[in-house]
Amino acid sequence: MKKPFKFKKSLVKLALLPLVLGTVLPLQAATSTAELSACYAKGLSDRAQCGKISQPLSETKTEQKIDIHFMVIPAIKPLYPQEAIIAFAGGPGQSATEIAANFERILKYARENRDIILVDQRGTGKSNLLQCDMDDLEQQFALNDTLLGLDFYKEDALKCKEKLDTDLSDYTTVAAAKDFDAVRVALGYSKLHLYGGSYGTRIALEYMRQFPDSVASAVLDGLAPNNQSLMAIGGAIEGSLNALFAQCEADKKCANSYPNLKQQWQSLLNQVEQTPIEVSVLHPRTSKPLAMTMTKMKLFSAIRMALYSHSFRALVPLAISEATNGNLAPLVGMMAPSEDGLGLAMGMHQAIVCGEDWPRLTAADKAKYSENYMGEMMITGLDATCPIWNVSPVPSSYYEPVASDIPTLLLSGGLDPATPAKWAEVAMEKLSNATHLVAPTATHIVAGQSCANKLIAKFYDEKTVGDFDTSCLEEDTRKQFFMNINGPATANKE
Amino acid sequence: MMKLISVLFKKEVLDASRDKRSVMAGLYYCIGAPILMCVLFTVMFKQMASPDALKITINNAENAPNLVQFLASKEIEHGEGEEVKAITLEVSDDYQENMMQGKSATVFIIADKSEQKLRSSINRLERNLMLYNSEVASLRLVARGIDPTIARAIDVQTHDQATPTSKGGFVLGIATLSIIISLFYAAMGMAIDSSAGERERNSLQLLLSHPISTMHIVLAKVGAIAGFSIIALVLTTIVSKFAYNMVPWEMMGFTVIIGPKFIISAIIIGLPIALMSASLLIFISFLAKSFKEAQSYVAMALFIPVMMSMATTYDIATDIMQWMPIAAQQNAMIEIIKGNAIPVPQLLLSSAVTLGLFAIFTYLSSRMLKSEKVVFGL
Repeated sequence: MKKPFKFKKSLVKLALLPLVLGTVLPLQAATSTAELSACYAKGLSDRAQCGKISQPLSETKTEQKIDIHFMVIPAIKPLYPQEAIIAFAGGPGQSATEIAANFERILKYARENRDIILVDQRGTGKSNLLQCDMDDLEQQFALNDTLLGLDFYKEDALKCKEKLDTDLSDYTTVAAAKDFDAVRVALGYSKLHLYGGSYGTRIALEYMRQFPDSVASAVLDGLAPNNQSLMAIGGAIEGSLNALFAQCEADKKCANSYPNLKQQWQSLLNQVEQTPIEVSVLHPRTSKPLAMTMTKMKLFSAIRMALYSHSFRALVPLAISEATNGNLAPLVGMMAPSEDGLGLAMGMHQAIVCGEDWPRLTAADKAKYSENYMGEMMITGLDATCPIWNVSPVPSSYYEPVASDIPTLLLSGGLDPATPAKWAEVAMEKLSNATHLVAPTATHIVAGQSCANKLIAKFYDEKTVGDFDTSCLEEDTRKQFFMNINGPATANKE
Repeated sequence: MMKLISVLFKKEVLDASRDKRSVMAGLYYCIGAPILMCVLFTVMFKQMASPDALKITINNAENAPNLVQFLASKEIEHGEGEEVKAITLEVSDDYQENMMQGKSATVFIIADKSEQKLRSSINRLERNLMLYNSEVASLRLVARGIDPTIARAIDVQTHDQATPTSKGGFVLGIATLSIIISLFYAAMGMAIDSSAGERERNSLQLLLSHPISTMHIVLAKVGAIAGFSIIALVLTTIVSKFAYNMVPWEMMGFTVIIGPKFIISAIIIGLPIALMSASLLIFISFLAKSFKEAQSYVAMALFIPVMMSMATTYDIATDIMQWMPIAAQQNAMIEIIKGNAIPVPQLLLSSAVTLGLFAIFTYLSSRMLKSEKVVFGL
């Protein structure tokens, strides 16, 4: 009777297997206490889950609630069901759920194994959107902002303040960080990997400060940290534009077609500063003739916005050259996308800028940041409008550099017209476990432009850059300039 | 009576455990099949997917530097040596001329589209050329002061109802097929041995000489075989659970998760099939005159349930098929993996039919054992 005994023994062994399985059970997907329903993001065919939680408006106004909406894009193969990636939108004022398709693309590799959480930060998207009324393209084109001066900004701010009828002090970065952790708790994740782009890095840093135990790792792309004033952006714009001029000068074809581009730009600016160009242009979509007053502000803004993407940068020499010759069409084409204010919630944007960046400005800061045109315009504008918005300044402790030993990867683009690489150094001051990588030819948001998306996925897995070959970040991602209206092609081959 | 059957059951289990080779053959399938399948899938996906850095041959690249640079940013580059795919992109001689004048500039893709391994790479190249097309077109419009959105007359937003677990389609069919097959094949040797084999060893007569009904004998045999089948099923699913985790499903944009919930459901759904399978195997083995004949008959008879399962796997099952035994149960398993609702009426009906077949085969076997012709294999 030896054999059956053995057989029984092996049966016992088999019976043990489901027990092993049982111990695996608690590792199964995070259990959500929030009610979720299927939903879809614009431009993303995959089914996501959406939900909302109710949060107190502030610590003192606990009886007033605000609904915080969020979306979960499921992992393809959830190897880490207790972890998720949370992506913070930029702006300030962008809605994370509205640009879900962008995040999905940037975090494509990271999503293979982890869910992505997108939360509409309070004041943006579906979470009590704080939006001002915008002028349409016709009004924007016709407006002569130099004639109206500061009264124009003040009037605009007053109108919006009345419309919103809210205390913007409840919408600062400090106030918003708690919402993100409440979403994490509601969804049942134990740890989050952060991805922040642009202003998103500031909220990510604040989240790291307030909830260090909820963070597994962080990727901060295009740093706009709490201890760096956004008003210094003028220098970044100038640097990025100068790099473009230098690139054209170094390229024989471009230098031949657009000689003295920088001087041309300067004289164009001077020209419109003295007398704005008044012409009739065609509406970019309806072809209806519109009156256009090209002021310095509009000209500078159009070129500034073009600096964010390599595709549009390719048009800048052509646009400057054509404008000098009186043809504003390329500039009109460049201005079309900003009709809707780039999808930013302007009220929320003011809450951040007036609550965090403006109160801290000293006279010396103002003098320094006003050295360039954009900085000067911004400070003048904020000095006029922030007293109207009347946002309570954030506590001064907010400006202290975030101290943390969370594994952090910082990414900067060498041609970034918004958040230059040196801002990342400012952010890193007290980050003891941080790596800063610069992609020399990337513009704003590195993850969308090179191999950074793979690097990010690897960083979330290993919490270190490790042996990842970062040389791909060095690849030249710039595009060739348009040599004529049809593209970069020229008659003479090189 | 239960005690009697349980004694007989123990005898069958003891008998079966002595035939180590039959047991090993069964276990071999349970462990080997899922692992082999996963290895095949992994190799297949790696071959089908386009490599991260795609190397092709680009002729006349100097005519289209901007296009070449664009493709390079999408990791499609001109390469030399072995890793270069048999795809050639040829830039026409008048490319620059046409580009400058705003005419369409021609590029040629030269490749064999029947080559399975190239297909995704060719698609990727075509897709990226389309992207370049729209990028240049957009910038041309912007340069003319026109908003490029007007070139996109309709904005198509697809709402895909699938989830990463439900996109597996074909793979889920194969996965459940292996589970269904385990119910029929794992205990095949054991079933033949306990019926035709027992008869050939002349121990069947001895058994029948005891004062017990043939029904008891058959039920005990079926019970022991079905029990072994269920063990095989559990083993197959558990091995699958771990093996499937190793397959890079995410390369194809989906995943297959064999969870505890699925394993438990598979056991419940599989139980009637295991009973039916065992009774069928016994019935056919007794029908045959010898051990050898039984082996051939069983192989032929098992073709039917396997075909039912295949129809579901390749998704060629008609509406009627969805109600048939095996097919309906396998379909239910697929829906459970996908995380969808279980087709309850189909599952209940087919399970009832399966149990009915079990009753019929068992009854027929017990009847047969009363015939001397069968008992002595005449």
